[in-house]
Amino acid sequence: MSADLYRDVDEQRANTSAMRAFMGFCANRTQLKFDGYAQLQQWAIRDSAEFWKLFLEWSRLPVSGSPDPTVTSSDCEHAQFFPNVRLNYARCLLRSFDAEAENREAVVGVREDGNRAALTRAELRAAVERFAAGLRSLGVKPGDRVVAVVRNTPEAIVACLAVAAIGAMWSSVAPDIGDAAALGRFSQLDPVVLITHGEYIVHGVRKSLRERAELLAKELRTVTTLVALDERPDIASLSLETRVRVVLRKELEGYGALPMSEWDEFPFNQPLFVLFSSGTTGAPKCLMHGAGGSLIEHHKEHVLHSSFGSGEKLYFHTSAGWMMWNWQLSALACDTQIVVFDGSPTFPVQDALLRMLDREQVTIFGTSATYLHALQQLGLSPASVAPFEKLHTLQSTGSILYDAQYDWIASEFKHLEVHSISGGTDIVGCFVLGNPLLQTYRGESQCVSLGMDVRVMTGQGVQRHGEGELVCMNPFPSRPVGIYGDSNGDRFHKTYFAENPGMWTHGDQVRLLERGSARILGRSDGTLNVRGVRIGPAEIYSVVLSVPGVVQAMAVEQQAPREPGGSRLVLLLVLQEGVVLDRGLTLRIKKELNQKGSPNHVPAVIVQVPGLPATHSGKYSEKAVRDLLNGKPLTNRGAMRNPETLDAIGAHPELQPLA
Amino acid sequence: MSLALRQRVVDWLDDNYHFGDTEALLAGDDEKSFLRNGILDSLGFVKLMLFLEDTFTVRIDRKDVRPENFDSLGKIVRYISVLPGYREPA
Repeated sequence: MSADLYRDVDEQRANTSAMRAFMGFCANRTQLKFDGYAQLQQWAIRDSAEFWKLFLEWSRLPVSGSPDPTVTSSDCEHAQFFPNVRLNYARCLLRSFDAEAENREAVVGVREDGNRAALTRAELRAAVERFAAGLRSLGVKPGDRVVAVVRNTPEAIVACLAVAAIGAMWSSVAPDIGDAAALGRFSQLDPVVLITHGEYIVHGVRKSLRERAELLAKELRTVTTLVALDERPDIASLSLETRVRVVLRKELEGYGALPMSEWDEFPFNQPLFVLFSSGTTGAPKCLMHGAGGSLIEHHKEHVLHSSFGSGEKLYFHTSAGWMMWNWQLSALACDTQIVVFDGSPTFPVQDALLRMLDREQVTIFGTSATYLHALQQLGLSPASVAPFEKLHTLQSTGSILYDAQYDWIASEFKHLEVHSISGGTDIVGCFVLGNPLLQTYRGESQCVSLGMDVRVMTGQGVQRHGEGELVCMNPFPSRPVGIYGDSNGDRFHKTYFAENPGMWTHGDQVRLLERGSARILGRSDGTLNVRGVRIGPAEIYSVVLSVPGVVQAMAVEQQAPREPGGSRLVLLLVLQEGVVLDRGLTLRIKKELNQKGSPNHVPAVIVQVPGLPATHSGKYSEKAVRDLLNGKPLTNRGAMRNPETLDAIGAHPELQPLA
Repeated sequence: MSLALRQRVVDWLDDNYHFGDTEALLAGDDEKSFLRNGILDSLGFVKLMLFLEDTFTVRIDRKDVRPENFDSLGKIVRYISVLPGYREPA
């Protein structure tokens, strides 16, 4: 047995898994023999169109039209899946399974103060039908953008599904995002409706969203209606321009119902979700994800890789501003119950979230390596909190789940199945994840997602195994259908396909192992990952460079094993001659980043440096600084026009490698 | 109460969470609950604990990281200043 084996295959679970059933279905239909996942994967990549066609058929998702052609070409950048299939995403999630499922809680909302609200599948559907009727009465049409500032609650799910039901597009952020960041995102979308909660709660403290709502309603010039999701009178009484009408949720739901049977079907590639991806330059990109592509990818990940289904109860720790919120939503399509939590995981007691998991009898717990690390740092042993009798699987994403954390989970939590899953906003899904048919090795994702030809770009070109940049060679349905406002596709091409033409370049470093597993190593581009939250340096620069005295800025991630999440954000500044980075200026910069960005945009360390390294073409090199701060060999020093800046940065006492 | 220790904790709160507004948030009440008043977030206690260990050369028993010892400025100062190995900051 390999020393790094965390957990062997549970043969009973493997034999009854959907992955095995699907393998049998494919073997039967293709007359091929699959001895295991590796062979199934080889076929799914080799005959990708047949694989996706069979999966759609096997899934029994309620779609119409012809599955032919399954995919329009083999070109990863431009291929379209199922151009002749139509569906309604919300109907796929809210369809009726059986009488028992109708009356079982489908969505459970738990607040940090212990308040609990649940909707059965029938109740959830009825609520969506009412909300959809209201939206339609407001004149919302297919393709319109609806934006939302919402907490992680059942009513936010109802609103999102109602938007999907009428074929509009949904884009949400969490309430803790700053005004500038929210505006920078939503203003690109020309939305017609703004949905907002009136307040949010942090550690028992209620914070009003009135000013945020007022600002967004004023600045988003295309918005004609503001829907207040809760009964806060200060939102209802907002005095806005005549252009914007304020509607309470109760009023909206007073327009009757738009029954599910009357929901139209829309093209498979109709944009549904808009997620935001921020890079090192420019405004955040508005990634449009298609309804069908999102659904079929999520369904594959949920049912095949994660063994979701009837009787399972999922809690994934997320906010409405992260793609995992959209991801967990789709679990309704396989009759898995969803628990959403509104508040802080450690309030009013440090083990509050753990107690909730046990109380709700959650079976699958999705979290971040950062949260697990924080528990470990606190010396908090979940096993001492509750028995977690129903819990069998832990999914972790957002940042790297290190080898030792697997052992901590087994000894201090429970010997759970551990799925280290990774992908992201860009694909609203995963490239690597779990698998009931495979062993689990510490620090590794069990496999590459079925049907995705994921490889590594190394110094020797594209390889099946080894370490390098993660690329995907073949088309996949959850590739964004485009970037909103990028009518000729230039920005989309530049972001994902310019570096390696013909293949999706994701921006992650990965090690693909011969046994089929994968280990994500971190970002390969300048994007930051702070406590599991992805941050685009461009958003930091736009704030910092507006502070008087700041001339240049560079934000990089530095490995810091003692920090929650294992890394910290470092900001380097070049200041005007005569300006010194004193405590007052440091605090002012942090405050601005907190207010205009979010708490995650605030660096742990800010230092003044004489200059920043730039290439001969004038592009600043985050990579060079990141390597330096993390004790890695500098591979591109020769490409710098001012390598002496690296010497000054390397000698700075606050910038020494910590790992 | 050790004023130097108190100031270091206030500085830390300013550096990491309130950016110059900590004293205003406390409003002269060093016993104000951090949790109930939103002065520390979920990860705050972990980060504060690590800072205190590194800065004051003390070892904090993880079982002690609970509101009784950490939920206000006064509680932190009283708890830390009697730990073995504690050295008054310069």
